Amino acid sequence: MAAQQAATSLRGVQTKCLRSMARDPLMQCLLPRFQQRNMATESSVLSTSTSSLTPFISISTPLSHRPPPPVPQILATLYTFPSMEPQSFVEYPAAHLNVPLRRDILHRAVVYEGDKARQGSANAKWRSDVHGSGRKLLPQKGTGRARVGDKKSPIRRGGGVAHGPKPRDFSTGLPKKIYDLAWRTALSYRYRRGELVVIGEMEDIDNAEPRWIEQIFDKVNFGKRDGRSLIVTGTKLPNLYAALAGTYGVGLAKTGDAIDVKDLLEMGRIVIEKQVLDSIFKKHSSDIIGTVPSAVGI
Amino acid sequence: MAQLACAQMPLRSLWRCRISPPSTEALRSYNQQQWRHESILGALSDIPSSYNKRIRVGRGPSSGYGKTSGRGHKGQKQHGKVPAGFEGGQTPVEKIHGERGFVNVHTKDFAIVPLTRIQSWIAQGRLASDRPITPRELIISRCVSDAKDGIKLLARSKSHDCSLNAQGPLTIPLNIVVSRASSSAIEAVEKAGGKVLTRYYTRWAMEQIVKNKMDPIQSLRSEPVDTEDMDTSKYQYRLPDATSRKAIEYYRDATHRGYLAYTVGEHEGPSLFHKPPRNITREEIEEKKRLRGTSGQVQKTKLNMDANKMW
Repeated sequence: MAAQQAATSLRGVQTKCLRSMARDPLMQCLLPRFQQRNMATESSVLSTSTSSLTPFISISTPLSHRPPPPVPQILATLYTFPSMEPQSFVEYPAAHLNVPLRRDILHRAVVYEGDKARQGSANAKWRSDVHGSGRKLLPQKGTGRARVGDKKSPIRRGGGVAHGPKPRDFSTGLPKKIYDLAWRTALSYRYRRGELVVIGEMEDIDNAEPRWIEQIFDKVNFGKRDGRSLIVTGTKLPNLYAALAGTYGVGLAKTGDAIDVKDLLEMGRIVIEKQVLDSIFKKHSSDIIGTVPSAVGI
Repeated sequence: MAQLACAQMPLRSLWRCRISPPSTEALRSYNQQQWRHESILGALSDIPSSYNKRIRVGRGPSSGYGKTSGRGHKGQKQHGKVPAGFEGGQTPVEKIHGERGFVNVHTKDFAIVPLTRIQSWIAQGRLASDRPITPRELIISRCVSDAKDGIKLLARSKSHDCSLNAQGPLTIPLNIVVSRASSSAIEAVEKAGGKVLTRYYTRWAMEQIVKNKMDPIQSLRSEPVDTEDMDTSKYQYRLPDATSRKAIEYYRDATHRGYLAYTVGEHEGPSLFHKPPRNITREEIEEKKRLRGTSGQVQKTKLNMDANKMW
């Protein structure tokens, strides 16, 4: 009994310790998945002691009249590249970087992108497209042979293709607000798993040699044995892009306007420049901003 | 055991989160281990209710689609397909009654904008009253959701009893440029000291105007404006002009406040075909009446009767 009590108290101390660690900014950045999760659906639990209540909120206030719970900020560390030294912290709203995982929304976004990316340019000649005459090859009766029409028939060699592919558009639709949510869901998922590395300002590497970047990646645990990395930069950095293009299974470099949701989910981690991350949040927030269309100041 | 697991948690987390290499030797040994990255892409799926289960017909009686596979008994419907509109040999209804009416392919479909909505938009701060309100402003502020072939301004409840935001009568001077405008809308805008200009737009033109690739007001045949800040070179395309007779005649009409009204000469009307009735003075009418007086008519008939005499 006593031992059990001691164990319980010890566990309590540990939990408290872990919580305080989680509140520490450094800990929060290094171990985002270890911190307390603040999901968007989470609401603050009212404690029984009145001392914790602010004067203008009383228990008798109806739920709908209470001010919304404060939106927690998410801390991310800015690193340098390629030295990967932590520089500073940067805060993002939870609606940007701590969106709950929705596999269905990610699925819809990935399928939408895949459909949109299809060229749909397959083209075959149907019997009417094949060059040639419509002359009947044999008389209808009296030859002892099977009935035949023209030589462009799909059953003949050199004939058209029956129901062959024609150029078409495979693209499907997805509401903009859902697609925007998918972007932030993907980034949040990566962030919580510690797979989102934010770089303050990406610098080009000194050498365009593939071995150079391979060794850098091995050193900072970005490479092949660590599940590869996607480097996202604002502009093309010649040496970095050339070096990564020469490697195999190490990683990929893309500019911010060339990535999509699927890219964000593919590799072991996303190494992204801060300005690109900010522009993604700016571009893909239609579901949380809710602006009224206006022509003033256009 | 649980305590042990708890104590290990930070280490395990550090090992999974390999952003920056931890410096301790103990963690270094973790880093040497390989771990395979597993992408979430293979585990994505839409919610189950988004998928329909395929109906497997002809696969046994318990499926409900077993014996006849949902096609009923005997006949053409079971074995193939029946032509659309075929009523089993009876004269089909579309053959008895045939087609009625027609679709006018030449008609122009205008998006309607009530003046009250513009007022409401201004009150909400979605439209600026100090600048010309052109299709660009109306479309961008979603005062018009689909501009169709053009925008038509109507006055709808001009003085009072406005359904939208209970706006009173229009008091702000506005400068509105649209495709068409009703006479009551023109009257209401001008009463408030504003002005209306109607001009020719096409669907494509309005798309380019929204993209800021085309001037929203000035075209080649517009009345020249001598402002120096008008820089037409910044636009990629030129705004098209009316080409059909019907459209030209509409915009030549000053009562429509058309943009071509300035081209109408002093003794011309908006029509390109009919001459306007000549202005006749009262004296001229009197003179005509006098000449055509009753005595004159009698004389004429007498004369005619005389001329028709055969004997």
